[in-house]
Amino acid sequence: MRRILAGAAALAVAFSAVPGMAQDKLTVWWVKGFYKSEDDALYAAIKKYEQKTGTKIELSQYAVQDMNAKSVAALDAGTVPDIAYSDTYDVQTAGKWAFDGKLEDLSDVLVPMKDRFEAVALSTANLYSDKAKKKAYYAFPIKQQTLHIQYWKDMLGQAGFKESDIPGTWKEYWSFWCDKVQPGIRKATGQRLFGTGFPMGVESTDSFQSFLSWVDAYNVKLVDDNGKLLVNDPAVKTGLVSALTDYTQPYLKGCTPPSSTTWKDPDNNVAFHNKTTVMTHNYTISIAAKWLDDANNETLTAEQRAAGRKAYDELIATAGFPKKPDGSPMVYRTAVKVGVIFEASKQKAKAKDFLKFLMEEDNLRPYVEGALGRWFPVTKASQESPFWQADKHRKAVYDQFKAGTTPFEFTKNYKFTILNNENAWAKAMNRVVNEKVPVDKAVDELIARIKEVAG
Amino acid sequence: MTTTTIDSNTRRDSRRAGFGFALSEKQVWGLLFVAPYLAIFVGFVVFPVGYAFWLARSPQLYVDLYNDPVFLRTAVNTLVFLIVAINVKMAIALFLSGFFTHKRWWVKILAVLFVLPWAVPSIPTIISVRFMLNPEWGVINQLIFQLTAEDGPNWLNDPTLALSLSMVVHIWKSLPFWTLILLAGRLAIPHELYEAASVDGAGAWHRFAYITWPSISTLYVTCTLLSMIFTVGDFNSVYLLTGGGPADLTHVLATLGIRYLRLDQVGMAMASIVCCLPLILPLVYFMMKRLSR
Amino acid sequence: MTRRKLFREVSAEAGLLLIGIPVLLWTMIPIYHMFLFAISPKDAAFSGQLWPAHPTVRNFEIVFGQKHHFLYNFWLQMWNSLAISCATAVLTLMVASAAAFAISRLRMKGGRLVMNLALFTYFIPAAFLAVPMYKTMGMYGLLNNDWALILAMVTVASPYAIWILRQASDKLPVELDEAALIDGASPFQLFRMVYLPLMVPSLIAVGTYALLLAWNEYLYAFLLLSRETAITLPVALGNFLSADDSPWELLMTAGFIYALPPAAIYYAFRRYMSSGLTAGAVKG
Repeated sequence: MRRILAGAAALAVAFSAVPGMAQDKLTVWWVKGFYKSEDDALYAAIKKYEQKTGTKIELSQYAVQDMNAKSVAALDAGTVPDIAYSDTYDVQTAGKWAFDGKLEDLSDVLVPMKDRFEAVALSTANLYSDKAKKKAYYAFPIKQQTLHIQYWKDMLGQAGFKESDIPGTWKEYWSFWCDKVQPGIRKATGQRLFGTGFPMGVESTDSFQSFLSWVDAYNVKLVDDNGKLLVNDPAVKTGLVSALTDYTQPYLKGCTPPSSTTWKDPDNNVAFHNKTTVMTHNYTISIAAKWLDDANNETLTAEQRAAGRKAYDELIATAGFPKKPDGSPMVYRTAVKVGVIFEASKQKAKAKDFLKFLMEEDNLRPYVEGALGRWFPVTKASQESPFWQADKHRKAVYDQFKAGTTPFEFTKNYKFTILNNENAWAKAMNRVVNEKVPVDKAVDELIARIKEVAG
Repeated sequence: MTTTTIDSNTRRDSRRAGFGFALSEKQVWGLLFVAPYLAIFVGFVVFPVGYAFWLARSPQLYVDLYNDPVFLRTAVNTLVFLIVAINVKMAIALFLSGFFTHKRWWVKILAVLFVLPWAVPSIPTIISVRFMLNPEWGVINQLIFQLTAEDGPNWLNDPTLALSLSMVVHIWKSLPFWTLILLAGRLAIPHELYEAASVDGAGAWHRFAYITWPSISTLYVTCTLLSMIFTVGDFNSVYLLTGGGPADLTHVLATLGIRYLRLDQVGMAMASIVCCLPLILPLVYFMMKRLSR
Repeated sequence: MTRRKLFREVSAEAGLLLIGIPVLLWTMIPIYHMFLFAISPKDAAFSGQLWPAHPTVRNFEIVFGQKHHFLYNFWLQMWNSLAISCATAVLTLMVASAAAFAISRLRMKGGRLVMNLALFTYFIPAAFLAVPMYKTMGMYGLLNNDWALILAMVTVASPYAIWILRQASDKLPVELDEAALIDGASPFQLFRMVYLPLMVPSLIAVGTYALLLAWNEYLYAFLLLSRETAITLPVALGNFLSADDSPWELLMTAGFIYALPPAAIYYAFRRYMSSGLTAGAVKG
């Protein structure tokens, strides 16, 4: 009996004990890098900071799909890290957090270094707080990504075409892959292969990121700079109808695999890697980078490494978009990945000091470049780094970003994160291709939903 | 307050049983033995649940929820999932538990293999099943094509088929556990009963109807209820297989709740589950009556 | 007569096989498909073949040798899984057997109420409790501590464990403890010397149940644990879902390996599993 009582007492003590927060410790939550080189660069920067300041950094890394749930739980519990970064913050929560006043204003860190950033990239971190009734830098930009076209040059050759045969105008470009390349490759191989891979799954980010580029191609603006909806403009509806028609055509014509409507983010990559599709569009050049990673992977056999090298150097092409339907050059939609310091952080000053350090060119660049080209820098100097001229994939990425970028709607109206998360866009596609609803009606439903959520 | 209850109970008991001191001590001991569990219950069930309800208190949340076009469908899916998947699963488990009572060397080996689905982690298995079902290059459709020269179905693109497949995955993963429990139930039936029946020349069906079923029906119904309640929170089989697709038509409450959570709509996440309480409350009531007997 | 008997036996055997073969296929096909990935060279598994053209053990070498970025702490995380599962099993057994003893043997007043309360736990889906549980652990100062996950798992495992153990202990003869009590043994001695030894089969079954529950837990594990070196393997496997292009063959290999220890535990304890998990829940 005494033992039980002692146990109960111990339990009570354990429960009431709150760990003391050491003053020279900084808690950092950072998304787990996809490549070792990314994490190594982060560790190196942290170590350097620890040596410089004597502050101990306690780093926790999580898988990207866990970061948001974990951060939300921490915010609710009041046990937030001092500084946090995830690839999902920008698309899911940063806007809402800023609106609700949960983020620390970072203007005093970012404004002095303003000139070092590319303007569009930095502007996406300028978010509106309804609590403070002002726009300010409530987040810090780390890196960015945009939409690229990837195709197999060897499959294109098998189908009987050269790269120079690819048209540069909108309509002809998409028709080329569907009406020429697909019949050509099927005839040459006798297999049921597909000219294109159009991600259309609701549970994927690829589908809406791609679709919104089609919206951009038709010069549709859904919100103004203050986040006010523009969807009542009849031109918006016309544009959305054209974009949705174009985006769903390949599926209806059988030019993208039937499973495209259920694709999650990895599936267009997989279909491309096993050569089910000749071409696909993807946010980041992860498709090409995978083969480069294989080429450098010491655990693979010599043949596998050689195959990786060949695919990266010779067989796969990275390209930008054709000209828009109106004949002007494409402007690429950029997703700028941001991190935050929470309002509830216990050591905001120290966190800002670390942020300032991390934002230094020497610390940020190795981290971004560690991703083999998947992420593009947000600072002007790093964008001009030789890394981006090293091979034709990176060069293509560089050229796309230099052609001019435009941010997502959610940087101006955070409620678009809800629309993206429930993927109102892919649902509209599904209405058209699966439920055979006329495009016109699907767009009306889409606009109604946009108004309901973001109005 | 607790003390008085114990005292009065003890007095009543002691009058009945005759050795009062021992009994009153027994009650104290009883409390001591149950105390660790009560501590855990209060600390990790009562407190968090109370907090969850507090988070879901705003009536506006329920209006928003009702306005979310996905919600109604999700509630229906959850209900279908519970009723269909669980009953099919338990019926199969009942049948297979009979199969595993047979004493053959290969049945014993099979019984060990049979528990593997229970042991494998969800992420790789369900992703592997997803790859299997890919209509273009997945093993299943390749096989269908080789055997019939026709294209197999686009498995996950049809809401009914996709939800059914989620249920199949759920059944696959949790069938071993329930089969094992029902098997144990069957093994506990005294062997003499069957011997007597076989002397009377009763067939397999009669043996089941007159001996097996009456003996394990309570267990069966109990397991069905327990399994239903466990399954309300089943997140993996839907999330990893269909992700709620196509077009959010296969969500269940658990996946929808996590989606709200990711967008920092904690209140909505909680409210969505509170809404399914009317669904499970009768189950739980029924369950408690049954189990605590 | 003998011929008819022979015919009956053969047809019974055939009937069993007719059930056994589908059961084998049903169970093994998804696992075989995982295994196919595990023995295929990179990407070859995506060709839809039933056996790889060049099977390899390379993936196992990579996982065992911790040679991939996502698996640098494979053995440590495996160890974490094991430690947390074992702790969950032991703690669940202690808490549940004590409670079952109080309810069933000491006939504690309010035992029925405790049983009801315990079962109440199951009507709250884990997804619902995730955020509140996190907050609760934060308040107790247990976040990022193995104990947070262990206690959460004990909470989930205990009600079922108490129910099973209570059923089983109801079956023990009453005379046993009455005799012991009259001999002057305290309830605690009774619990330790008489009750626990008699309950061993059920304890093993319940312990295995709790162990497996904690072994494969994902949601609470990623919420409540933090450091790369502290997480369990299922959480680490979540890393493979991080981006759109992962080494799927390594995910399958690691998952396959992860399934082996519980299978071995089950194999070792299978004698107790079937008798222990429902003891007493059958009308005799």
